Amino acid sequence: MSHSGAFLYDAPGPRARRRILLGSVVSALVLAGVFALALVQFGRTGQLDADRWTPFLDWPIWSYLLVGLRGTALAAALVAVLAGTFGVLLAIGRLSRNRPLRWLSTGYIEVARTIPVLLLIYLMLFGLPAYGINLPVLWKLVVPLTIANAAVVAEIVRAGVLALPRGQMEAALSLGIRRSQAMRFVVLPQALRHVTPSLVTQLVSLIKDTSLGYVVAFTELLYRAQVLSAYNRLLIQTFLVVALVYLVFNGALSYLAARLRTRVRRQVAPPSGPAEQAADRELETPVVR
Amino acid sequence: MSDIRLPRRRFPLITAVLATASVAVAGCGSSDSSSDAVPNGGGDDAAASGLEAVYEDAPVADDAAILPDSTMAEIKERGVLRVAAALDAPLLSQQDPSSPEDVEGFDIDLAKMLAIYILGEPNIEIVPPASETREALLQNGTVDAVFNTYTITEERAEQIDFAGPYFTSGLAVATRADNEDIDSVEDLNGKDVIVGANTPAVTAVPEVAPDAEVTSFATDPQAVQALLQGRGDAYVQDYTLLLAAAANNPDIKIAVQPFTEEPYGIGLPPEDAEYKEFVNDWLEQIQEDGSWSEIWEATLGTVVEGDAPTPPEIGSVPGS
Amino acid sequence: MTAVIENLDPLLRALGTTVLILVISAAGSLVLGVLITVARVSPIPVLRGAAWAYVQVFVNVPLLALLLLAVFALPDAGLLMPLTTTVIVVLTVYEAAYVAEAVRSGINTVASGQVEAARALGLRLSQTLRHVVVPQAVRAVVQPLGNVMIALLMNTALAATVGVVELTSAVNKVNLVAAQPIPIFTAAGLTYMALALAIGLAAGRIEKKVAIHR
Repeated sequence: MSHSGAFLYDAPGPRARRRILLGSVVSALVLAGVFALALVQFGRTGQLDADRWTPFLDWPIWSYLLVGLRGTALAAALVAVLAGTFGVLLAIGRLSRNRPLRWLSTGYIEVARTIPVLLLIYLMLFGLPAYGINLPVLWKLVVPLTIANAAVVAEIVRAGVLALPRGQMEAALSLGIRRSQAMRFVVLPQALRHVTPSLVTQLVSLIKDTSLGYVVAFTELLYRAQVLSAYNRLLIQTFLVVALVYLVFNGALSYLAARLRTRVRRQVAPPSGPAEQAADRELETPVVR
Repeated sequence: MSDIRLPRRRFPLITAVLATASVAVAGCGSSDSSSDAVPNGGGDDAAASGLEAVYEDAPVADDAAILPDSTMAEIKERGVLRVAAALDAPLLSQQDPSSPEDVEGFDIDLAKMLAIYILGEPNIEIVPPASETREALLQNGTVDAVFNTYTITEERAEQIDFAGPYFTSGLAVATRADNEDIDSVEDLNGKDVIVGANTPAVTAVPEVAPDAEVTSFATDPQAVQALLQGRGDAYVQDYTLLLAAAANNPDIKIAVQPFTEEPYGIGLPPEDAEYKEFVNDWLEQIQEDGSWSEIWEATLGTVVEGDAPTPPEIGSVPGS
Repeated sequence: MTAVIENLDPLLRALGTTVLILVISAAGSLVLGVLITVARVSPIPVLRGAAWAYVQVFVNVPLLALLLLAVFALPDAGLLMPLTTTVIVVLTVYEAAYVAEAVRSGINTVASGQVEAARALGLRLSQTLRHVVVPQAVRAVVQPLGNVMIALLMNTALAATVGVVELTSAVNKVNLVAAQPIPIFTAAGLTYMALALAIGLAAGRIEKKVAIHR
């Protein structure tokens, strides 16, 4: 299988190959045309002038931005650890047989999934200080992101647990170990391995979310980009460069997620029943925020 | 890229771990070379070198003035003055991204003078405040002082203390240079007016021009950009900020001179009378010895015609 | 609660803006996302590559960076649109990447044997897609698309950071004057939850409608 859509059509014959070639040429021309149009527009407004780009060859500018990237990594790492822990606990809670615990976890997940992070950040910034709750800037970013991401992680983990054949839990229980132990030592480790790709994808999403540090004036990449652009007035260049940094950084992680996904899929036996098929589908769904 | 410049590391710095863009400030002026690393920069390097002498002769408090167990003693023990100030306000408090230790401008240079007064050296750590969080920063002890075009109001004075006023400014109106329609605040009626979110302009504009369509932007650079792009006809903001914007952008002009009076104070933690008195004493000293004027000349004075204004009388405003 | 009632008028207007942004970008991103998926599974390598690159960019670059670029930077290159329009365009192209990902994984759930069978029957690609793949993929894709739309709703809040007065921005403004954060923010949170619930319910109903009864 050369690409994801390849199974949709036969190996092309001579006529189809000619048509594909024609299609390639036409679409390449159209895409190049659009790109050229953009370049012409940029060139006409002087945005391509060398002196608007050369500042980004200077090390001090990069060191300035890299300090921001370090802040991004710090915030992302904190959220990943906190939301990861909290998320797994929530997933267990939602799968638990204890009704109040299940309801509480379910309620939290459903609420946290449907409130914009920015609203929580504004609450942290402008609301809570009135009640004497005023966290350091980093935590004004980390706490709202953790609240939101924990819910998403919980759903990913839960999907992983549900996708696991029931026999795993049953076999463990028949060995006489307690349900909580079976969860901890048999079900969760396997489930987590299955959902690792989705968790990495979620990590990308939360790294993107740390750009909200811009709102709370936390020194992360986008905030530094803002201060830099206010200073050098090279808005297009600064934001394009920063977007590229995000693309490289997150692109590498996304690539890792894709690699893991194929590996996990190869290791896991093909699903047998419709129920598991459905669960497997849920696993593959890109988690978005 | 023939000449790669490394940022100067005078002090072991940037303990940015806890989100404060910590900036230890080297006492000497910035190198002039930093400005060509960032073309069209808003910084003013000449200003900094001119201030070296001011720093050298800056008043330092007698040991007797640093009362035991006072806030001043605490700062002295810590060895650094923690200040809430902007990083992106040209001429007031602007960070130079090519050497992030250099933050310059009227507000921040005064903060350095206060640091010298207490510590003997201009050792400050900057916490950029997000809009209206300044009272909170003072109340929970995150910073020792706020130098941030901080208007003295009676409401704020209920929550925190103000030293000063140290400067009087006001809201003014900027437009694009080719705009001839706006000569007075009344002309703002029926126009699209840009304001900074959470600034006094948000309430002041509807008062003077009830029919103005107000759009607010989170930061001053955003608002300036919005004005340049024509997302609004006018930008109402503090006069000093507008002056800096106009100095950097030939396409922007000040269309209406200040129409309100905003006395700026140094925000201090609440209910700390001896600290407030201490800061007011310092302010009086630098006003009398002329360093206040020299700092003004080196920063705001570069874009305002005429001599340095007479600083406002300390304690002259309700709330101060 | 009084603060919410006293400011009901501007809050409702802001809610209207949120819904407007949501509805237009939802429709736009669904259309664009499906087109990108078509390009992504097409036999033409150039289109596949372009669609792949498109998805990579928008899945890996923060929405806020794109918004700032579009609202404040691109006008320097002569590309200026009204604020709300800019936000709608950015949200549309951004969410389209996620729609494309969801639809693609939906196509992948259709067993390849079915496609092979269709091909063996002599159906052409367009016929295979129309009669075999799409009807089944749609079922698998409704719920994930619902989630993308809820994410879109969450993302409309970012319009507040570039000066659009939508719900989050309006709530913040009201709070700054009234200083009653708990009731005001709770009301906003409940409103967002209600909107998300509506999207979820709609997705559920559509899913039921297109479900296969075996």
